[in-house]
Amino acid sequence: MDTLIGQGLVALEMIVDPGSFARDRVGAKEFTDESYGPGAVVGTATLDGQTVTVIASDAEAFNEKFPVVYAGIIGMEEGYKMASAVYATLAADRDAPASAKRPIVLIVDTPGNGPGKVEEIFGMNKATGAYQLALAEARAAGHPIVAAVIGRAISGAFLCHGLQADRIVALDAKFGTMIHVMPLTSVSRIIKKNIEVLEELSKSNPVFAAGPQFFHKLGGVEEVVPEIADLRSVVIRQVAALRVAKAKGEATGPVGRAVLGAARGGRVTRPQVAAKMAAEFAAVADKYRPQSA
Amino acid sequence: MANWSKLQTRSFLESSARDRAIGLVDEGTFTELAGPFDRMSSPHLVALGEAVEFDDGVVTGVGRIGKRPVFVISQEGRFIGGAVGEVGGAKMVTTIDLAIGFADELRAANPKIAPDELPLVAISFETGGVRLHESNAGLLAHAEVMDAFQRARGKVPVVALIGSRIGCFGGMGFVAAATDVIVMSEFGRLGLTGPEVIEEEMGKDEFDASNRALVYRTTGGRHKYIMGDCNFLVDDRIAAFRGQVTELCKLPVGDFEQFRRIGSAALVEKQMRAVALAAEMQPKDAYDVWRRAGNNDPAGLGDAPVDDFRKQAQRLSV
Repeated sequence: MDTLIGQGLVALEMIVDPGSFARDRVGAKEFTDESYGPGAVVGTATLDGQTVTVIASDAEAFNEKFPVVYAGIIGMEEGYKMASAVYATLAADRDAPASAKRPIVLIVDTPGNGPGKVEEIFGMNKATGAYQLALAEARAAGHPIVAAVIGRAISGAFLCHGLQADRIVALDAKFGTMIHVMPLTSVSRIIKKNIEVLEELSKSNPVFAAGPQFFHKLGGVEEVVPEIADLRSVVIRQVAALRVAKAKGEATGPVGRAVLGAARGGRVTRPQVAAKMAAEFAAVADKYRPQSA
Repeated sequence: MANWSKLQTRSFLESSARDRAIGLVDEGTFTELAGPFDRMSSPHLVALGEAVEFDDGVVTGVGRIGKRPVFVISQEGRFIGGAVGEVGGAKMVTTIDLAIGFADELRAANPKIAPDELPLVAISFETGGVRLHESNAGLLAHAEVMDAFQRARGKVPVVALIGSRIGCFGGMGFVAAATDVIVMSEFGRLGLTGPEVIEEEMGKDEFDASNRALVYRTTGGRHKYIMGDCNFLVDDRIAAFRGQVTELCKLPVGDFEQFRRIGSAALVEKQMRAVALAAEMQPKDAYDVWRRAGNNDPAGLGDAPVDDFRKQAQRLSV
């Protein structure tokens, strides 16, 4: 097998316990309308015996109601369906202690968000925003969230489905894994810089180029998975590691990846900016405290 | 530096990021953080041999409205379209973090502190999203801002102000949607996919990006007001945006949940009803939805003075 692009459901079955995936059911919620956001696959499985919520994209599905949504694109219905699955997960474990909240596994292979006129009239931005807020809430509540990038993780769709996870693992570039805002050739055209120059710069600076190895250097991907056969064991190990990390209050998610980006030397300016601003605010904070004594 | 009183009557649309920031808060109260003298510019633009700005195209700082500390983020569209890179993104996230930290500190020092003495964050958006010159870092910064919003929930209200030339698109389009309150002028535009990209995707017959009226009625302030995506539609003056934020400053943080369009299971249910309406209607034009909301003469309403629009417009309920 050379690639898993377009095969989110195959990847899903490879990662969870064999035969354990129950589609369209998360906690007490059942997703009964098959025509609703058909490209968003949600359900419950077990992973090494633990109950987990799984959210994936089905590249084979086509949304009859919103024809710009196909090939794994996340449209309005898909975004809200994914958000609902997260809220249903939160509700299912509402009374469980943080340490026992069920994990959420995101299987990432999506080329974009719905780019149409109807989408803009009704506000596609809300659908993708809603899903991200739900994931951020679940992460803060204690649910370990692992995103496995098995194919395409493109721009806004990766922000939507992936970048709010606690940890992100990505298949090695040799399997065709794509992580980028735009391919370097398009960037070259738009910012009017020679492609050779950009490719040369990419060797020393990972912010320009496409691919999991560059995101790894930036801390945007915690771990690159060398072989497809390793996916399941890596996800299981990351969930276990997250239980420990979250119990200790270690930074995970976007904040954790910022720390990692500095440690790996990929994003070193960010912490300098934060430190400078904190120092400058500390020097004037008294002016902004309540003045009445 | 512009005179504060003169700034008030100035068009918000025409104003620079710094003038918007200074004019939003009370006179003389704005302290810029990581301002141009700190020379926090993008190392990635330097590597590309591109011109830099010493504030990286975003003005961040803190001021006051009445008793309330107001943390301000203001994006400058005249610098690379207000696009967000590593430094600008870090400035946004840090501003929100400072506001959250200050709120925690003030509450710990005085659990009975008055609600209008606690911080609020105001963001003046003018951006197309990720800065392509440093796209990977810009993308990661977007995720951090989104996460910071969720951390701010229930602690610090976050208000979006949209009324600048570039509008608010791309990844920042959903970042803005995730704030507590959205204040727009009729010249503000909010969306995900910019008009040119839709035209490329669907063809010029379906969507003509050079048709300004079409662009405005699809993503502009009036349309967003009818859709309920923008909470308040104000005049195109700095004083008008400031006046709306001043009103909001009187409210305790808990009251801000009522303004949200997304951010809970119940709100997702509501948005799903709107999407069902989209599927049923398959609108060819935003005016179809205006009519559905109860506006019998959408074109007339679209052309009416904004004051009349505010009085007459029926907003969509689902």
